[in-house]
Amino acid sequence: MIKVKNVKKSFGKNVVLKDVSLSVKPQEVVVIMGASGSGKSTLLRCLNGLEKVDSGEIYINNVEVTHNKTNLNLVRRETGMVFQHFNLFANLNVLQNITIGPRKVLNEPEEKANKKAMELLKKVGLEEKSTNYPDQLSGGQQQRVAIARALAMDPVVMLFDEPTSALDPEMVGEVLDVMRNLAKEGMTMIVVTHEMGFAREVGDRVIFIDDGLVVEEGPPQEIFTNPTQERTKLFISKIL
Amino acid sequence: MSNSFNVIWQNAPQLIYGAKLTLFYSLAVIAISTVLGLIFALLKISHRPVLKKIGEGYVSVFRGLPLLVEIFYVYFALPMILPLHKWFDPYFTPIAGILALSLNESAYITEIIRAGILSINKGQTEAAYSIGMTKYQTMRYIILPQAFKRMIPPIVNQFIQTIKDTSLLSVISISELTRQGQLIISTTFQSLQIWTAVAVLYLVMIYTLTGISGYLERRFKIDKS
Repeated sequence: MIKVKNVKKSFGKNVVLKDVSLSVKPQEVVVIMGASGSGKSTLLRCLNGLEKVDSGEIYINNVEVTHNKTNLNLVRRETGMVFQHFNLFANLNVLQNITIGPRKVLNEPEEKANKKAMELLKKVGLEEKSTNYPDQLSGGQQQRVAIARALAMDPVVMLFDEPTSALDPEMVGEVLDVMRNLAKEGMTMIVVTHEMGFAREVGDRVIFIDDGLVVEEGPPQEIFTNPTQERTKLFISKIL
Repeated sequence: MSNSFNVIWQNAPQLIYGAKLTLFYSLAVIAISTVLGLIFALLKISHRPVLKKIGEGYVSVFRGLPLLVEIFYVYFALPMILPLHKWFDPYFTPIAGILALSLNESAYITEIIRAGILSINKGQTEAAYSIGMTKYQTMRYIILPQAFKRMIPPIVNQFIQTIKDTSLLSVISISELTRQGQLIISTTFQSLQIWTAVAVLYLVMIYTLTGISGYLERRFKIDKS
């Protein structure tokens, strides 16, 4: 479903992704871990074309994202993205944040978009906040709206870029709950996170990235209890 | 003294007429230069080098010249190359005035709009792209509405400047408020009274604009970011 082949990416002289290849199967939950600066967020951003790769290929549902003739807008409709800092549209209320994609990008009628948005808000437990503006919500609530906004486009895969890193500790749980339910429903997910508990419980596979390379990958139990690589061991000992 | 202020009432119709023209030119220039400003701001932030250069060139030229020189240039110099005065006869004078002012004011407005757009967090654009919005849709529905709110104070400042700048149109004999004042004084010799009346009329116009701006700022505060 998702294939990444020999992707390389630098920012100026700083080589962020040295040579990354991986694949993700439908309904799989892949957790990407690694120290900050290891390139995991950049990898995620390359998947939906927010960053352009220098070389290599990325396929989502057999469409080559990295091909310069590919219409990225079409790819992005199918890949939901959740950001570390939520990035809810500040000029729109909660309901409008969720419906603007379906209405303007998919040209859905207002009524249908609103109905779907309310269902999604119910799913993330925020129906009563539909008329609030983002700055009237807590971080955890904003992130749940952001998840609903991405889901409104009916994506085939959801990309999470450190979705709980900017949250107060007591709000992490509510966001992880939503993500856990999503995984149960069979959503394909790629999650960049430091939440070991979540990775262990929900992740089908953990990919450990360091210094722009995939160092190790495997089922969470294996990676966390029996890492084979020195760098993985060091990282895990630090975050445990 | 009290008697001599009668000269204001006697010439009130001409003064009011001048104020109306000042208002007309101000509104025309504000409307045109806001549209031009938006276009050139979008060019300036474009990633295409040619478009960017056009935007930059426009601002450097029309912000770089004294407004008075621009007015003279459009009114006296341009017709030497292009017979604009014949094409637009008998409206050449007002058109030249509006054109010269609009070129100048729009260069400043370009910078205000550009700064407003750039002040919006990059995350907003990325989020819009991530749900498949085009660049146009992102600008139209996400960035500009937020940028507009931040642009209100500096852009109103520029509109105030525009009202005052229309007084320079007196040099190409457009009968706006300042010109009317000069004309009345040339027959009545009552400088103090007439210039006081002119000054008060400008202040009224500008004070009204400030009031509208305050109202707009309060109105758009509802979804503060």
